[in-house]
Amino acid sequence: MDSPIGRRDFVKIAGGATLALGFAQAAPAPGPDAAERDLVLLALDAAKSAGATYADARITHGLFEAVGTRERQITNVTKTETYGIGVRALVGGSWGFSATRDLSKDAIARTARDAALIAASNDKVAPVPMRLAPVTRVADGRWITPHEIDPFTIPIEQKANLLLTTNAEALRVKGVRFVSSSILSVRERRLIATTDGSMIQQTIIRLNPDLTITAVAADSSDFQTRGRVAAPAGRGWEYIVGLNLPGNVQRWAEEAAMKLTATTVEPGTWDLVLHPSHLWLTIHESIAHPTELDRALGYEANYAGTTFLAPPEKVLKTFKLGQELMTVQANRNEPGGCATVGWDDEGVAATSYPIIDKGVFVNYQSATRDMVGWTSSITGVKASPGHAYGQDWSAIPFPRMSNVSLMAAKQDLSEEDVIGATRRGIYIEGDGSYSIDQQRYNFQFGGQVFWEIRDGKKARMLRDVAYVARTPEFWRSMSVIGGPRTYSLGASFSDAKGQPGQLNAVSHGCPIALFRNVTVVNTA
Amino acid sequence: MPEPAQIQESRPDTRSRHGLSADEMRSLCDRILSVAKADHTRVNIESGMRGFTRTATNRITTAGTTNDVTVRLTSVFGKRIASVETNRLDMESLARTVKECEDLARISPENPEYLPELGAQRYAVVNGYYTTTGDLTTEARARAAALAITAAETSKTVAAGFIDVRAGSQAVATSKGLFAYDSGTGVASTLTVRTRDGSSSGWAGDEGSDWTTIESPRIAADAVRKCQQWRGKTTLEPGKYDVVLEPTAVGMLMLRMQTGAFDARQADEGRAYFSRKGGGNRVGEKLFDERVTIVSDPASPNAETSPFTGAGLPVSREVWVENGVLKNLSYSRFWADQKQVAPKAPPTNLIMSGGDASLDDMIKSVKRGVLLSRFWYIRPLNPRVMSYTGLTRDGTFLIENGKITRPVTNFRFNQSLAELLQNVEMLGRPTRVAASEDSSVGVPIVVPALTVRGFFMSSVSDAI
Repeated sequence: MDSPIGRRDFVKIAGGATLALGFAQAAPAPGPDAAERDLVLLALDAAKSAGATYADARITHGLFEAVGTRERQITNVTKTETYGIGVRALVGGSWGFSATRDLSKDAIARTARDAALIAASNDKVAPVPMRLAPVTRVADGRWITPHEIDPFTIPIEQKANLLLTTNAEALRVKGVRFVSSSILSVRERRLIATTDGSMIQQTIIRLNPDLTITAVAADSSDFQTRGRVAAPAGRGWEYIVGLNLPGNVQRWAEEAAMKLTATTVEPGTWDLVLHPSHLWLTIHESIAHPTELDRALGYEANYAGTTFLAPPEKVLKTFKLGQELMTVQANRNEPGGCATVGWDDEGVAATSYPIIDKGVFVNYQSATRDMVGWTSSITGVKASPGHAYGQDWSAIPFPRMSNVSLMAAKQDLSEEDVIGATRRGIYIEGDGSYSIDQQRYNFQFGGQVFWEIRDGKKARMLRDVAYVARTPEFWRSMSVIGGPRTYSLGASFSDAKGQPGQLNAVSHGCPIALFRNVTVVNTA
Repeated sequence: MPEPAQIQESRPDTRSRHGLSADEMRSLCDRILSVAKADHTRVNIESGMRGFTRTATNRITTAGTTNDVTVRLTSVFGKRIASVETNRLDMESLARTVKECEDLARISPENPEYLPELGAQRYAVVNGYYTTTGDLTTEARARAAALAITAAETSKTVAAGFIDVRAGSQAVATSKGLFAYDSGTGVASTLTVRTRDGSSSGWAGDEGSDWTTIESPRIAADAVRKCQQWRGKTTLEPGKYDVVLEPTAVGMLMLRMQTGAFDARQADEGRAYFSRKGGGNRVGEKLFDERVTIVSDPASPNAETSPFTGAGLPVSREVWVENGVLKNLSYSRFWADQKQVAPKAPPTNLIMSGGDASLDDMIKSVKRGVLLSRFWYIRPLNPRVMSYTGLTRDGTFLIENGKITRPVTNFRFNQSLAELLQNVEMLGRPTRVAASEDSSVGVPIVVPALTVRGFFMSSVSDAI
């Protein structure tokens, strides 16, 4: 094996950390730095003096560390630090925002005034009344992502060796020519202060492991990849250890090679058994996005689009999106979730609530304090569910989805049980190509690995598979779902929304699930 | 570390240029390089302002301004290399960044593909900073937004739009004496207009380096017109159609070719459309219609880009496809070394030649086909044939016997770009388009409208 460290050494390196994937003990959450505390208060005072009726200020310090490899070599070791302050001000019914990396008192006061002046300037164009939903003051909020091992305490060499060992194991498989792998570690300190009197310090830790294996036909006439083997997570380094990348990579590499000779799919109508490593993305695109309140109200019409779940008065509590077995929760408290936090950027505590209850659409998510009033007469909910988020100091907070998850069946159905309920179908693992229209009706999803199911058993590998469906019909065709043991999280570090575009890290949990009679196309 | 000179960031209200000046950049680079101890060091600095105004529901929903300066340091010992980026420019932070980067590089595994930093280079002359854009105020953006809101209110429709402005500078310097500086501006203005009942939607937008090329009244009028024309759409069966692609639709597809399609290594390794069966690449082969010519040029007016890469490699005008023949691929310094050819930077913009057909000429030429305004959610399907999936959006119309006969529902398409460029029938005049799906200032894309045979609409979308 041509790798910088052997398997035994790897086990030694990993040995210091527990391999258990159980939820970690929370490290104590640090409070705010005294100087930063003074600066955000200064910003709020300056915004108020310039006419803001409400303001919030965020100092964020983001630290990103990326280690990347291909085959037997390092491709990049990169650390990125970004630090600054963003101030959002409300004047009349209009928002203004200004941000700077310059944390001198003068610059912060000027930036805060700019935010208020921009708001005032906008309010002259089309003044509208606005009422912010009430919020509970948090005088000293502290939160940190529950974790055992801070990824920034793991040396670069150890991360690189883990990846290179993984690559070497993959390259042992016949037909595998290329492997790229990387680990992105994130730690962000986020201090939020509001003119409601809240002062909240949070530390967010996330990890994004990535691995793509490419097999190439001997005559270069074809190539196939297997990637997306591990999800990003809001966890500590113990998560990476638990993935056991070197121990598991052989299977993924063999799958890449098998795809070269797999049978191309016969287009038509198939039952689909969707593994959580695949289904999370379908949930993200076809449930989480269309249930965003700001889309329903038209705020995203020029980019992400609107939604088929509108207008609110015609769909809330009446629109049937699935059968009784379908319950979906918005959850900012999901253990290990990328969008799990203590409070949102308006100081609203993390919440968990149903979006789809036994198949019926009951609540929008992605609502902020200035929007929740639009639906409270129907839902009875008057407080913000806490979805304000700006990706860092330079970005204005706006409605972002929390973790949105499909609940597992109460019955203890296993993966084998769900496959066993399928006479003729396709089992799909891993997310692949994805595309959905701007109202979230028509979608097309590929995957990473496809197996034909015959008479309740996986029979042979297929390739070139994508399924196309209309969202309501697709979810109504969900007939069997797995139990809690089949539940796991998939995630994205880069859910894009807003103008200017902002990225949000978000997770979606789900069990394995069976969908009947879905249209499959051949992408060859 | 020597005490840094005062770094003055340009302010939005001073009418001076945004971003650090060349002298400030050089001074900052020199100070960092003077304390660097690595075998090789590279400094990349980006600085500038981003301003935006966003509208929805016929009002301004958000607007703001952000100022930032980022310094990225790359330190190399032998072939051990690491990078650290920070936006903290005080002396203590910069010194810490240099030390941290060098410490990281020392412990990083070797990168056998690393080649020593470049020395001084010669670059194309690019004048991409337009004060018309850099000096644009919050109030001016608000006035442009108000114009769209008024047009929507007058036509009893609902406007949602975005004006994105960027102005700044960048520099790269190496311990081998390279210093390069460039400043530029960019602006994109896009507008979606929907009927109040949500039954129709129209879009229009412009993008450029120069704010004076952004025609706000026309954008407002076009978006309203598209929205009104698309009312009462009816279903059309999916299938292969001759299509007239408006420039924005063409640009959104061609943007995919700009990002990586012309990479020699991907092709030589058998991982791209331009891979030759049996090994190597397809340079010299006629792959597309003979009227297809694709170039990139950092000095192209109103589509300017930096004349250097992040590593300081010169970016110059290149011909990628000429009369349908693949002429060139881009070579990283490593791959060029392996193949014993000159390195060639990848395209930083994409300019496609056209013809002189008007959109009306194109519509008249189609017996039965579809006019497509733009696309949405384009994602790769099969890189071996450069195929993509995506959806039509904001204006889809049936053409019969040379005339638009009715608005039709949107479609999902599954289409190979290679086939599309082989099936070109007519070409219009090239124009810069807002090609990014999020309507932010993006890679400059200059393309013509096209008439194309056999574009595959695979299924119907109910989306509006």
